[in-house]
Amino acid sequence: MPRYLRIVLLLTPGLGLVVVMMSMVIYRAVAQSFGLYNFGGEDILSLAHWQEMFDNRRYWSALRWSGYIATTSALLSVALAYPLALWLRRPFFGSTILSAMIKAPYFVPGLVAAFLLINVISFHGFVNEFMIWIGLWDKPVRMQNDENGYAIIGLQVWKQLPLAFLLLLGSIQSIPDSVLHAAQDLGAGTLARFRRVVLPLTMKAMQAALVLIFIGAAGDFSFQAIAGPARKNSMATLMTQLQGSNYSDWNGAAVVGVTLMGLSLVGAVALAGFVQLMTKFTENVR
Amino acid sequence: MKRRHISTILAIAVSFALFFWLAIPFAMAVMWSMVDPGHPWSYPDILPPKLSFERWRVVWETTSLPTAMLNSYTLAPVAGICTLLLAAPTAYAFGREEFRGKAIAQVVILIPLVLPGFVTAVFFASLLLSLGIFEKYPAVLLGHIVLYMPYAVRILSVSFSQVQDDVVNAARDLGASPFEVFRAAYFPVLKPGIFAAFLIVFVLSIEEFAIAFIVGVPDFTTIPTILFSYLGFEFVRTNAAVVALILVVPNVILMLVLERLLQSANPASVSGKG
Amino acid sequence: MGLEIENVGVRFGSFEALRSVNLTVDDGAFVTLLGPSGCGKTTLLNVIAGFLKPTSGTVRMDGMDISDTRPEARDTAMCFQSYALFPHLSVRENVAFGPRQKKVPKNEIVQRVSKLLDQMGLDIHAEKLPNALSGGQQQRVALARALAVAPGIVLFDEPLSNLDAKLRDQVRTEIRALQREVGFTAVYVTHDQAEALAMSDEVFLLNKGVVEQSGAPREIYFRPRTSFVADFIGAANLHVGKIKDGAMATPFGPLGVRGADALNKTVCWRPEVVRLGGDLQGAVTASAFQGGHLDLFVSAGDQTVRLQVPGSHEFDVGDEVSFGLDPENVVVLADEGHVDA
Repeated sequence: MPRYLRIVLLLTPGLGLVVVMMSMVIYRAVAQSFGLYNFGGEDILSLAHWQEMFDNRRYWSALRWSGYIATTSALLSVALAYPLALWLRRPFFGSTILSAMIKAPYFVPGLVAAFLLINVISFHGFVNEFMIWIGLWDKPVRMQNDENGYAIIGLQVWKQLPLAFLLLLGSIQSIPDSVLHAAQDLGAGTLARFRRVVLPLTMKAMQAALVLIFIGAAGDFSFQAIAGPARKNSMATLMTQLQGSNYSDWNGAAVVGVTLMGLSLVGAVALAGFVQLMTKFTENVR
Repeated sequence: MKRRHISTILAIAVSFALFFWLAIPFAMAVMWSMVDPGHPWSYPDILPPKLSFERWRVVWETTSLPTAMLNSYTLAPVAGICTLLLAAPTAYAFGREEFRGKAIAQVVILIPLVLPGFVTAVFFASLLLSLGIFEKYPAVLLGHIVLYMPYAVRILSVSFSQVQDDVVNAARDLGASPFEVFRAAYFPVLKPGIFAAFLIVFVLSIEEFAIAFIVGVPDFTTIPTILFSYLGFEFVRTNAAVVALILVVPNVILMLVLERLLQSANPASVSGKG
Repeated sequence: MGLEIENVGVRFGSFEALRSVNLTVDDGAFVTLLGPSGCGKTTLLNVIAGFLKPTSGTVRMDGMDISDTRPEARDTAMCFQSYALFPHLSVRENVAFGPRQKKVPKNEIVQRVSKLLDQMGLDIHAEKLPNALSGGQQQRVALARALAVAPGIVLFDEPLSNLDAKLRDQVRTEIRALQREVGFTAVYVTHDQAEALAMSDEVFLLNKGVVEQSGAPREIYFRPRTSFVADFIGAANLHVGKIKDGAMATPFGPLGVRGADALNKTVCWRPEVVRLGGDLQGAVTASAFQGGHLDLFVSAGDQTVRLQVPGSHEFDVGDEVSFGLDPENVVVLADEGHVDA
């Protein structure tokens, strides 16, 4: 059997299945957004569904909202994960249990995470009772479904911080001690070592963390549906609403779906580029 | 020595933060699940007035939770085995063969991970609709297989790459049949990877919500879709607490097992040399 | 820049890596810290660089106590065993790293870096990343990077151990030549006694956390103070016994010794100080022709000694051989010592 045929046969059941299914799904989304595979009427290739969406305020609002939630969650998770990863880089007494506790939320399914959080922040939940008890607040504060999405961002960080932590920790641990010593020996203080050695050497991990968290948060449905503000939609909740039983607007849902894929791509590229520029810049600041 | 003090204080502070981070949320879920239906827990009680497993019994007897659990726990192992079998040849090619475009192929396999889950779910549903497939179980199963193929391929290809050529050649040299070669040279090295891949697909399939919700609803319920029904329009906190715990506890235990397996899947412990 | 180490001790838990080390290095000197692995030489180097805070004692540079000075503020630069080059920076940027941190004016950095790169023959590799260079070239970059901060003291942590034998000799000569030319003080850690003898003005031989002996290479070699020194540096023949009337009785015959009468003493002599013919005698148990010379292993009773004689001689196993030693060349050791079987 020729070699290439052998390779193709080996790849077919796994990679082949994934490629066929995923490209069908993506093609489907794109085609439906342009009026093809129309369940309700005739297939007409047109921009009508896009135009309709562009005139829809809910579409723009959901796009802004998902972009905002995703960017904030990604940046916040990484910003919190960096110091933790630097701190837990070397083992010390209790460090294993600390890392395990940081990692734990990663294993909690999203729906459960949302439920756990709303118990804690509900009107008579733990946070309110606690703050009133210590006297910082004099009456309960409404935190669930808040208009700024703090609850959702909190959830995203709770669930995604472990991912950023693991990626950064691996990357930081792979910097040899001697390289850090060399920098110190040549006169670099703590901040300079971070800026000029640690940051550039962990840039790839930071990019990966930001991109993965951004994509995950941009496509979020559960947190939005459970803990998000009632009058706002994320791209995913808007899409399911449009496609769902009340509207059955598959084409509209397709426009939202394609936009969400676009948002993920653009966001990922933008964040990765931003990190690259920032690293170059801070590295060269004297 | 001052630095050591600072780090001790930091360790204590962070341990406290993590206590609130993990212990409080879970403790509240456990308490809510054990609120006795006859004695509601309401403001200003700090703790539920009476704890009982009555709520668990009620949820079990009056809702479709048993069906959902049956669905989830029959779907997950089948998804795990199918994914493993389909992933193995690709993993072998990634781990033990060199070919043009391998780097690209290794990236392409990750697409299901980066595509938003609900986009996949909605347009997978759309696809099924026009193909006229209305059988929910195989549809959700296929969705899970495709979605979690990347994990299985990744883990197994690492395992395959750790099989040593020398050992394979030695087995053949000593006259082993292909099956014997697999048993002697491949299987011991692959074993932790096989278990790990199966476990991760199993756990993720149990948790999966998007496809189960979009494709399966209303006639195919799984544990997450039941949970969502208590969290969405009709918010029933006590029922949600019961279902959430049923969903999360086995998975956390399995994940701990998985982490052990992934650790033991490292080359030093498998090949016996560092 | 001069360096003084006074009563420095380092303790890791219950393990004493260094026990009250004292040493003085003159400005512009090239000294080596020599010893087997685990003797504390690298620990001492890390104390000098400031990476490790000693449990006790003081470190002074040019008379100033720097025990509490952070590494980045010390006037030292280290060449690491693993080179520790910054993988994300080009060769030029690696070399410029130090001067940039020390806020050297920009145009001076450019000049200084270019000059060093020229000097080291690295100018054609200036824009490459470290991974694209060979081991020897990386070693040079590490040295250039250390010298770029114009340090008072350059610390070398076994810098040649990752190079092959031939390159090692070449780089060794280069380092020494450069040190003479630039005039920095060098503290060089190695476990290779040949390297230490060839390079140093002064050798500090460490064993189990203390300086066992220090001195010029010749002194260390020909006048070892203890059996450890005699054994660690080069090949040595040791005898234990009673010294009476300027001689020690050995299975080979009476060995002339310049020393006072004593009951239990160890004496030592080097294989190459022997001459053929004399009042000591033994049987050849093995011989190895080395080109320029011949190594002979000669036994009598339960002892074996090693002799080095000109390569023109020929011996067969079993031959009786008689040899003699000038009492001048037999060193009486300070410790009671032991003779390895």
